[in-house]
Amino acid sequence: MERGYWIKSKPIYTSLTWHEKATSHLVLATGIGGMAVLKLFQQMHPTQPVTVLYGKYGQIELDYSDTLKSIIQDDLHLYKFEEDLLKKLQVLLRDATMGLRIYVAGSEGFIWDVVAAAKPFGIQESEIMKEQVDTLARTVYCVHCKTITKYVTTNITCCNGCERMLFVRDHFSRNLGAYMGLMVDAESPGELPAIEEIYP
Amino acid sequence: MQLNFNDESFRDDYSYKNSPEAIKRFPFPFSEDHYMYSVNIEPHAKGAKGSVYEYTFDVDEHYVSECLDKSVTLEQDPGRYAALPHMMTAQWDFLELAMTAMANDYPEYFTLTKNGNVWTWKNRPLEIIDTFTFGDATTLPYEPFEYMGRQMQGDFVLLDQRDGTLYADAGIVTSQADWSLAFNTGMSWQEWHGPVPKVTELGVLDRALKYLLNLQVANPVRRLNWTMTINPRLDTSPENYPLWAIDRKKVNDETVGDLVNLRVELQTLFRLPRSNAIVFGIRCYLASLKDIATYPRWAKRLHRVQKDLHPDLIEYKGMTTYHRYVIDWLAQFDDGEVLEYGAHPE
Repeated sequence: MERGYWIKSKPIYTSLTWHEKATSHLVLATGIGGMAVLKLFQQMHPTQPVTVLYGKYGQIELDYSDTLKSIIQDDLHLYKFEEDLLKKLQVLLRDATMGLRIYVAGSEGFIWDVVAAAKPFGIQESEIMKEQVDTLARTVYCVHCKTITKYVTTNITCCNGCERMLFVRDHFSRNLGAYMGLMVDAESPGELPAIEEIYP
Repeated sequence: MQLNFNDESFRDDYSYKNSPEAIKRFPFPFSEDHYMYSVNIEPHAKGAKGSVYEYTFDVDEHYVSECLDKSVTLEQDPGRYAALPHMMTAQWDFLELAMTAMANDYPEYFTLTKNGNVWTWKNRPLEIIDTFTFGDATTLPYEPFEYMGRQMQGDFVLLDQRDGTLYADAGIVTSQADWSLAFNTGMSWQEWHGPVPKVTELGVLDRALKYLLNLQVANPVRRLNWTMTINPRLDTSPENYPLWAIDRKKVNDETVGDLVNLRVELQTLFRLPRSNAIVFGIRCYLASLKDIATYPRWAKRLHRVQKDLHPDLIEYKGMTTYHRYVIDWLAQFDDGEVLEYGAHPE
């Protein structure tokens, strides 16, 4: 395809900024996403209540916990596991009221995990402000066996389910929170293009 | 009118055949020697007797075998049917539209009897008789949209209109040109057309959307779209891509006339009265290049269209591997005669 070809289903992420007319704010971030949270508070400390859920999972991830603790006096919760963070999110959403605004900063995988967790509460993904940080790694949906493979950094990947080699397309499903993976050598079995890391 | 329904297959031994009458009424999509995307939408008005536009939903000689093929595909992959929970009103709208139109247009095949909310539906070709309560999904063997979609040729998507766009929130899709319902469910208009090259620059998508957002009940519209398929295979889904992609390598100078099919989609759009959703019907017609060459006018026209087709479209339609064989084979029919405007066969 020529230059300028753009698959419009691929999400575009922005920088987080406060919704000034919200009645309360819920901010979720992991790792280096903590910097996006700090930038939010550089903009302003809102008058409305703010809750921050921050996850720092791995050893190598940058950790902004200490800075966040000194900046955010209201309602800061720290997590070592994404599962726990998402559980807390669902507890908070159960009692959420109109006017709550949600902000997410993290890897694309984390962003869409949050979207999926919020969906049962009637929250549309378009209502959640999203900032992608850290990695371009993709979540890939195998269109053949429907298995999801996470943290894919290469143009071609092996499906966790059926073990076919999948070409990772730009086509993205917000419903599944994943890019489409399509068998790359279906026309010519065994003929694989070079595998390259293009989503580091 | 009494049709003889073909006993034929769209997979394995591919015994699908077009009768001479079916070829003659094939919705050949090229009125000019050149093709590019356009907003080629027109009213879905009653067309000439015997044409594919004669009735609201065309039922042809492939009806019984096609419905059988659909049931096989759905059994192998139930994910070919999907409906988000808020689409139930639209599902009943769809059932009513389809039953009313089919019973009205083909009384020898289909009968709808209403006794208040208790309806009886008779489908003679498929040997189905069901009595159910309109509005009560528990009285049907499937959800209403799936129930009726299984008894119709082609694919259907129900589009929900909100936030100034259309969302693909339900579908029964078993004869698609390489797009996935499971992946696309819930997508907005711009998202699901995302992979189509050229249409954004041409402004086609925005104009078509604007047009459809204003679609009125009782004024349906239609357009034709096309691609090519190896073998008369209805289920060219991405799900089963590993099964059919390899057939592209079987095309050569000897096989091209039989193997390569022109695949034409008659796309129809109807506004539904209660839900305000839109039915998007995608009916697939298949004709081999040999079928097309029955009419020299079509062979010449198809040759010219393919010869200068934009490379991005060749790639997007998955024709790169075999496209040169198509052009070479069709060239034998093209004497350079000037063809007047129109897609008619003779």
